[in-house]
Amino acid sequence: MIRQLANWFRRKKLESGLDRELRYHLERRIIDLERSGLPTGEARRQALLELGGVAQIQEEVRDIWLSRWLRDFTYDLRFSARSFLKAPSFTITAVLSLVLGIGATTAIYSLVDQVLLHALPIRQPESLVLIDWRGDQAADGFGSWNLMSYPICRDLDKQTQFFEGVFCRALTTVNLSTGGDYRPAVVEIVSSNYFPVLGVGPALGRVLANDDDGEPDANPVAVLSYDFWQTQLGGAPDVVGRKVLVNRYPLTIVGVAASAFKGIDVGQVPSIWLPASISAQAIPGFDRLLDRRTRWMQVLGRLNQGVTLKEAQAGLQPWFKALLQEDTRRAGFPVITAERRQRFLDSSIVLTAAPQGHSGLRRRLVEPLWVLFAVTTVLLGLACLNVSGLFLARGSARDREIGTRLALGASRGRLGRQLLADSLLIALAGGLLGTAAAPIVVRTLIAFLPRETAPTALNAGIDSRLLLFAFAASVAAGVLSGLAPAWQVGRRSLVSSLRERGGTAFGGVRLRKVIVTAQIALTLTLVVGAGLFLRTLDALMAQGPGFVTSSLVSFGVDSLRNGYSPSEGNRLIRRIDEAIRHSPISRASAVARFPLLTGGSWNDPMTILADKRISTDRDVNLNSVTPGFFQTMGIKIIAGRDFDERDIRATGEQGWRSAIVNEAFVKRYLRGRNPLGVRICEGSGPDAKPNIEVVGVMSNFSYRGIREESEQAYFPFFEDSGTFYVRIRGTPKSSFESLRAIVRSVDPTLPISDLRTLDEQVDRSLNTEHMLATLSGGFSTLALLLSLVGLYGVMSYVVTQRTREIGIRLALGAKRWSAIWLVLRDALTMVVSGIGIGLPLVWALGRLVKSQLYDVKPSDPVVIAITILVLCSAGLGAALIPAHRASGINPTDALRFE
Amino acid sequence: MFLSPRFPIPQGTLDMLILQIVSLEPLHGYGVAQRLDQISRSVVQVNQGSLYPALHRLELKGWLRAEWKQSETGREAKFYSLTASGRKQLAAEKHTWARLAGAVQLIFNEGTK
Repeated sequence: MIRQLANWFRRKKLESGLDRELRYHLERRIIDLERSGLPTGEARRQALLELGGVAQIQEEVRDIWLSRWLRDFTYDLRFSARSFLKAPSFTITAVLSLVLGIGATTAIYSLVDQVLLHALPIRQPESLVLIDWRGDQAADGFGSWNLMSYPICRDLDKQTQFFEGVFCRALTTVNLSTGGDYRPAVVEIVSSNYFPVLGVGPALGRVLANDDDGEPDANPVAVLSYDFWQTQLGGAPDVVGRKVLVNRYPLTIVGVAASAFKGIDVGQVPSIWLPASISAQAIPGFDRLLDRRTRWMQVLGRLNQGVTLKEAQAGLQPWFKALLQEDTRRAGFPVITAERRQRFLDSSIVLTAAPQGHSGLRRRLVEPLWVLFAVTTVLLGLACLNVSGLFLARGSARDREIGTRLALGASRGRLGRQLLADSLLIALAGGLLGTAAAPIVVRTLIAFLPRETAPTALNAGIDSRLLLFAFAASVAAGVLSGLAPAWQVGRRSLVSSLRERGGTAFGGVRLRKVIVTAQIALTLTLVVGAGLFLRTLDALMAQGPGFVTSSLVSFGVDSLRNGYSPSEGNRLIRRIDEAIRHSPISRASAVARFPLLTGGSWNDPMTILADKRISTDRDVNLNSVTPGFFQTMGIKIIAGRDFDERDIRATGEQGWRSAIVNEAFVKRYLRGRNPLGVRICEGSGPDAKPNIEVVGVMSNFSYRGIREESEQAYFPFFEDSGTFYVRIRGTPKSSFESLRAIVRSVDPTLPISDLRTLDEQVDRSLNTEHMLATLSGGFSTLALLLSLVGLYGVMSYVVTQRTREIGIRLALGAKRWSAIWLVLRDALTMVVSGIGIGLPLVWALGRLVKSQLYDVKPSDPVVIAITILVLCSAGLGAALIPAHRASGINPTDALRFE
Repeated sequence: MFLSPRFPIPQGTLDMLILQIVSLEPLHGYGVAQRLDQISRSVVQVNQGSLYPALHRLELKGWLRAEWKQSETGREAKFYSLTASGRKQLAAEKHTWARLAGAVQLIFNEGTK
């Protein structure tokens, strides 16, 4: 089969070869016959006769080269192409339907592939595993997911019977300079075996080597990412040996990593890689690299050849249990309750395959992207149904042709194949155009993704995987759209088609009605889905973050990264705060240690001492703020007071004197009790000392994101870094330059980060919801349009079919409106049965999107009612045009026409 | 041309005959035709028209290899020769044929006993 396909491409050469071969045969034969005494003309005749017809041999040999089937199919394709060119409006409608379907599916698939499926460009990505701790680590930590300590990574690296190597990594933001200004940059802190275990080499110089993270601070080196080298250093060839400054700390560049490698997190491309030994410089004030009870790094390993994930996981447990016991005896193991100690000792090691690395972006997008992929697949299905319907319509117009061909002896299989060739050709044309349009769609899609994602992380280009997908989708679409028409041909009766006049075969109509019904059902699911996502976004927007966002601007300052000591840093923050408050552009200003609405928070369980001592059953979100924060944000103090000078601690005093908790905190833990005067503290162990007095209660507002309602406790601000919140006079955007100038006037070299309005911050925190609502809304509109076109087509056809019948009815005295009703009733039957089929589908699919919804159930009656209303009225609207035409039928014309 | 009464070649044996002929030496189509003609004169009747489709079929199956070479008359002709898998195929067909013929003979012997 393959060889025959290949032959198709060199058929010219084969033809001329056969020609020469046969000519040689004839000439030799003629000469031989002449030698035996025949005259020249007679010899030629005799030779040709013996051979039995050159043309016939050629045909037979061609059949062998290409196989009969393939040859006929190429004729079919040629015939299809010709007939399509003759019916441009049909062709354009069909191709356009598929361009929409295939283009949308391919574009979404591009993101699915890049974010969810694509393996890292490393050696044997399939043997990479993520190592995680299931259970209580009895540890503090910071960072996102799957965190463990640095020492345990080193311990795991020694389990050589399972692992070729185990490395760890953590992302952080530093102030980075290559000689000029400091800029915030994402860097990856890694153990020194990171590159060897991944199997990633240098593009220049060397990558990190095994002793680069020996002693803390011993080896101040850095490896640049290829992108950073190209964009920030112009790809300078002499870059090895130069210095970069990380938070003012000089590091020697030893090399540039391979160009294809962009770290192991698809959403976050690090600028540089640093060995763990200088984590104290990368994260100012961090001195717990060797602490076993500080979890902050993801640990990944490469399994040995021949060791399966299950074997490794089972084999590690005895060693791990011993390690847990040993840990409890180590100095510095925290004092914890017996129950928690048991949870710690019950912990286990869990391995998961991680050929795509570790990514927060993937975690956030995995469900939304699959939902959108499902939506576009349904859209593609709808487009196929549409093309099916169009083909059936065309099939009825071609009745005579097909009938004649059947009568002349063409087999039904042969005709079915002709129709399949038709639909494949249309689908490939649609696929080609759809793929060409995909990059534009992908670029739009990327704009919906979290904007923290590095611009280099995802690309809108077309690669071979995407082409393969688009091709497969096109062929599938072609076969699907050709199925119904081919089946129709298989069923038709030859006699009736010849007896009937052109365009009156009735069999196709029922099938077309079934198709339209299916379209309505699919459209219902998409429109309901879009309605649910819209309501979710609407509910979140309506709820808001719980504070007034208009004319509010925020930006971050990290003084330690700029070489300040903690106490100097705190003075710097206060000076900037002071300067902003005295500036004419601000109405109010305050500082919070951690920014709001970024998805992250400082959190910990707490101990509460009211009548009796209790521990919170889950983490409380914590923050520290300067006096005036709540007023600046427009957050109400419901009881008690804001922070003021009473809360300032004396020199040398540790901890906080006072705290303000939110309503949710009171509701969950202090129900019915006066919260003021209750004492609380961070942590839940037996050594926790609840000595912080609750002095106020604030109204609820969003910390991590708008979806989440959480218990919160705020402390007075004494830190060295934080996020400024400024209520602006005038338009927020115009204040940006003034704010920069104010910070420069205090410290000209201090970089600020994330300067933006709070309205924008709200938008960003909702970008997944925006994406789902906008895209599913767009896709379902297209779906509705496609099914309306289908409905309209069938109804127009039905009216043409029944012209005579309607004419007679009218002649016999039927009213015009009854003619209209005749058509509308037909359309309504399809719409209603489509809805009837679609509703159970909605019910079944609802559970899959539940986690993406907010404040609305998958079976929300309002959404479903509106959808049904929209479908019915749109369906009736589409049917109204043919219905109107039916009512305008002139009885005498209709009868004469016959 | 009709020297003696001949019976038409049994279905499917043409391929085997061609393989056998080409196994002796590389030959062009006309050469194979001449050899077939010699056989035809004495035993069976081969339709020359089915020769070229058969050659091309055997080439596509990979049992024959073809190359353009100078022929005995000095002109370029397409010579066919047996490939390794073609040789295997020929041996297999000979074996099958022998078993079939033997079996048929056995049945006839039974009948005449």
